[in-house]
Amino acid sequence: MQDAADTTDQPRRDISRYAVPLGIIAFCAWAYWLSTQFDRVPPILKRGMQPEDFPQLVIGLIIMLSVWLLFRDTSAAPERLTKMVQMTMGLLIGFLLVAEIDLFLGLGLFAGSLSALWGERRFWAVFLVGLITPIAVFFLFDGVFEVRFPRGLFTNLWYG
Amino acid sequence: MDAAILNGLLALADPHLLMLIFVATLGGVLVGALPGLNATTGVALLLPFTITMEPIPAIAILTTIYCAATFAGAITAILINTPGTSASATTCLDGYPLAQRGEAGRALGMAAVSSTIGGIISVVCLMAAAPLMARAAYNFAPPEYFALTVFGLSMLATIGDGSPVKNILSGAFGVLVATVGIDLLTSIERFTFGMNELSEGIPFVPVMIGVFGISELLVQADNLHVERKQVIMKAIKLPSREDYSRVWKTILRSSGIGTFIGILPAEGATVASMIGYNEAKRWSKKPEEFGKGSLEGIAGSEAANNSATGGAMVPTLALGIPGSPTAAVILAGLMVHGLRPGPTMFTEQADFAFAIFWSMMLVNIIFFFIGLWGAKIFARVTLIPIQVLWPIVFIFSIVGAYALEQSMMDVWIAIGSGILGFFMRRHGFSVVPMAIGLILGGMLETRLGQSMVMLDEKWWLMLTRPLSLFFFVLTVLALFGPTIWGRFFKQRSPLKSTGE
Repeated sequence: MQDAADTTDQPRRDISRYAVPLGIIAFCAWAYWLSTQFDRVPPILKRGMQPEDFPQLVIGLIIMLSVWLLFRDTSAAPERLTKMVQMTMGLLIGFLLVAEIDLFLGLGLFAGSLSALWGERRFWAVFLVGLITPIAVFFLFDGVFEVRFPRGLFTNLWYG
Repeated sequence: MDAAILNGLLALADPHLLMLIFVATLGGVLVGALPGLNATTGVALLLPFTITMEPIPAIAILTTIYCAATFAGAITAILINTPGTSASATTCLDGYPLAQRGEAGRALGMAAVSSTIGGIISVVCLMAAAPLMARAAYNFAPPEYFALTVFGLSMLATIGDGSPVKNILSGAFGVLVATVGIDLLTSIERFTFGMNELSEGIPFVPVMIGVFGISELLVQADNLHVERKQVIMKAIKLPSREDYSRVWKTILRSSGIGTFIGILPAEGATVASMIGYNEAKRWSKKPEEFGKGSLEGIAGSEAANNSATGGAMVPTLALGIPGSPTAAVILAGLMVHGLRPGPTMFTEQADFAFAIFWSMMLVNIIFFFIGLWGAKIFARVTLIPIQVLWPIVFIFSIVGAYALEQSMMDVWIAIGSGILGFFMRRHGFSVVPMAIGLILGGMLETRLGQSMVMLDEKWWLMLTRPLSLFFFVLTVLALFGPTIWGRFFKQRSPLKSTGE
């Protein structure tokens, strides 16, 4: 049974080992191409470097190190993402969508849902993190730190 | 300079500031004791709260959190065998066995005493060394600064969990991210995709909140099953005269080690505590007691990690090169407040610098008393369920990220950085080098550009300048020294760095 598990893990380890450095190299290739699109200053106004010189130098270094990783890195692949992490990430994306309607609605929903998702079953605890805390934080930042939050469904009730 | 030392002390006479420092010490101890939070995360999360404050209270709060959280890691290390911060990982080795034997109070007493002595020694060194270092750096020209920054970045190779190559890669990525926005030398936009919000570059604070706070939230999603049980503790007992006679040399040695390690760019309290612990064991008359409840082990680890906090502030304030990951976030805080760390800080803002030093001295004294009499209460906060704690941390993270520029783009940056940081950590890339690379990236490019102008675009002339050459040699040693050393002496430390 153990052997079977090891065998199924092997291709994944290989893919992961190559995927990360190759992904970085692909990202660098894209960034390098973007850097070739920067405006340039005329030679007479040039002061030391053109705007793309430094980013290209850094990109070159990253590619070099990634190539090294591609051939020399022997670290084990991480375990698969657990369902809990996947769902927590899903909640983060959900937060970003709801935050477009109202930042504090998003925060309250996210905090309450996360607490429940992670196994909190006491109503007062979910109520505390999902409702009381966002409201308290809103008034703390609005009143004490004079932060103006983006207008939304609920913040409009306060801002008028 | 004497006047600045006195003015700095007088700045602390403000009752409002004293109260803030006291509250921040309590907050720092709380942060250090809470599961998953450490000094770096705590400082990153609290940075937005300080934006509306004057620079002295703002930076004093951040340094207070740094010192207090570093100490507080020992409380959980001793009572529940879970280091509150990675800098206290070695404290577990002897603190928890002592606690299991019913001597938790004695272990905490030793931790508080050695932390306080280590912290005070390092602040005294900071007061003496930082102005001297600043004076030495006063005549640095751009090539020297460039070489020094390269050296600072090369030190990233040895921090965190990742391999040196992965650390440097992560740091280089941070430097690349720092190139987003208008190029300061040519005023040409780079990587902005036409978005006005990006023309001033990627802001530090949301990235810090993302990589240290939100990525940790995702890590915690996998730790829901961890149970924390507190050891029953009798009253705290100060070390006896016999205990002192056994450990005073260890405390002094570890304080020296910690301060020195802290002064090295990028190396922080975690590395200091490991070396302090190992040296305590090496010099001990009873090395066989280490790992079974040795007071010397606790003293060696705690004096070293707390003295690293003062040491780390030396290059941060004198050169603008962070001495540790937490110091990097404090450096970001200094920049956000419009302060310019570097040699001029001790001529143009000397009162400010010494006020910060005195506040660090004060914190070390305050947490001694908190450590002795409040440990029992603070140990209880570790029992706060993470189902309640982390949603609240998330709310503060997001509001903090938004508050600085009052821009939703910063919220997106924080979440994006958090997810990126989580995947980096999963694949063995430490996020600390990326954060430091982001902070130092702008300085690195500006100094290189200025050097190229100064040297008529002949970069190799940097190697003809003795100080630049010295820093480049140090860079080569930092990058390849451990490998060469390892080839010659095939031995490994039994303790592995866990990063800060």
